[in-house]
Amino acid sequence: MKTLIIVKEKDYEWLGPVFPGIHPLLLPICNKPFAEFLIDFSVLAGSEAIRFVSDGPLGDVEQYCENGNRWGIAISYGSILENDDLQMIIEKNQRYCVEEKVLIVSGYVFIQYDRQHDYKTLLASLPDGEFLSSNHGSLRLRGARPAVHETIDRVPLSLTGLDSLDVYYRLSMEILSYASSPYVLPGYNNEEYCHIGRNVVISKSSEIRKPVMIGNNVQIFEGSILGPGAVIGSNVIIDRECTVTDSIVLENTYIGEHLEVQNRIAAGNILIDPESGISIVMDDPHLLAGIKKTGSGKKVFQSFVHSIAALFLIALLLIPFLLLSPILILQGKWKRSKNSYYTSGARKPVTLTTTTIERKGILSTLAGAISLDRFTLLFSVFAGKLALIGSLPVVARHAGSMDLNTIESWYHAGVFSYAEAEDWPVNGGDTAIVERYFAVHGNPFLDISMTIKAFFNRIHETKTL
Amino acid sequence: MNFHVDASTGKTLGLVELSGRLDAANRSELLKSFALWQQQVDLFIFNCTKLDMIDSSGLGAIVACLRKALERNGDLKLAGLNPKVSMVFELTKANKLFSIFPDTGSAIQSF
Repeated sequence: MKTLIIVKEKDYEWLGPVFPGIHPLLLPICNKPFAEFLIDFSVLAGSEAIRFVSDGPLGDVEQYCENGNRWGIAISYGSILENDDLQMIIEKNQRYCVEEKVLIVSGYVFIQYDRQHDYKTLLASLPDGEFLSSNHGSLRLRGARPAVHETIDRVPLSLTGLDSLDVYYRLSMEILSYASSPYVLPGYNNEEYCHIGRNVVISKSSEIRKPVMIGNNVQIFEGSILGPGAVIGSNVIIDRECTVTDSIVLENTYIGEHLEVQNRIAAGNILIDPESGISIVMDDPHLLAGIKKTGSGKKVFQSFVHSIAALFLIALLLIPFLLLSPILILQGKWKRSKNSYYTSGARKPVTLTTTTIERKGILSTLAGAISLDRFTLLFSVFAGKLALIGSLPVVARHAGSMDLNTIESWYHAGVFSYAEAEDWPVNGGDTAIVERYFAVHGNPFLDISMTIKAFFNRIHETKTL
Repeated sequence: MNFHVDASTGKTLGLVELSGRLDAANRSELLKSFALWQQQVDLFIFNCTKLDMIDSSGLGAIVACLRKALERNGDLKLAGLNPKVSMVFELTKANKLFSIFPDTGSAIQSF
């Protein structure tokens, strides 16, 4: 059997303004993207292939689900027009739908199923046509043989149309409240009502009150209380003395000190009341309330420590630089370019000359491994243009571009980055969260050890600045 | 922000109407004005009906006003918080510091 999943933009248009940047099919429900629930059900129903079709963009979904190898099925993607009806959609996907029985899921609906149930046998016994529907979508079979078995009065499935924040919130809380979930949920689950992801640091003095679900790469600081009823996404920091109850904290969110999040959805710097739909965008980036700015004295001291460390690195790398760079320039493996970068939250771009080393051959690999591509940038530390370690430098574009709006107050570009030191995947969300953490909790001496870590981590790195 | 003195209930109350945004840009204006108003009254009501948005700086200014009022055995009550401003008070637990009323009338009656 195959599954055809049809989702139209009009079904989920309410979501865009609420969770900008999250594709509706990847909306996390209890830390699991919505699309994965659909995939799980399709697999339980006996599908060997799934095709997502939509009149909206599917690029993010394709990037996440890829070809379906992760689930042992084949996933493909297709486009439809806004006004295409079911018949037209089937015709457009004729090659996919031909020959085999197809389960058609239409609408932005959550299928409430139970993984213990044998849907494969059940669906095999159902006749062609719609077998479950709600105001927001339906499930139907196509190409099925006429039913020869007994009539099934009640299909052990139900559909919930995801048509509002309130429904989304209540669905998440309902799933969280199952002692033994009918769904496969992410995280360790060695006791009831509790799912905890990877790389979760929970302070001794914090309290976890079930039911609770915590994603990956989460830090929970002293005195915080999570739950009952807390869904914490991945890459989240819950700072000291916070309370999060009956709430959903989506990924990449920083909950500042002493905050109380109750019956709310927090998504980045947006706080939402799911019942009324009212949301506020916090002026304190990512709910960074209560964060003390670094004093000017501390900044001077930090700059001094960074300069001393940069001087040491220059002394260490000077001879290798003088020996290797001319050879690599002649070989064409040493490429320099000038670019404007934002260097701090002040948003004033500066021009820096960056080096790219093509790591092919012994000498260039050695040069890259000992970070000779960063050598000239070390002099910018003396000029105060760069920190020794900080955020990955952001390329400055024309005023008014998106970048200007994404430079946060904690941003301070460095020769090395905290993300490199922590060896975190260098993508937007992960990088931002680790850099923000050290911007808030770092100190000059910690910066030295982080620089050493970044230096050694770069030995195996293949990319340059 | 507008200020006037109300003595209709027999008590002298300072009614302050906050409007627009209360943030780092105008928090010092509120604090300076509040010091002047304290020369006239000790009991205050901040009418927030027209207050659209508040950030942590603005919230800090209101808390500072409350502290100054309490130091002089006075009080400061809030009225007419819109849902967005109310959410900030709940998030920061500042709602536990203040007596908050749905409108100015009920706040006046509470003194």
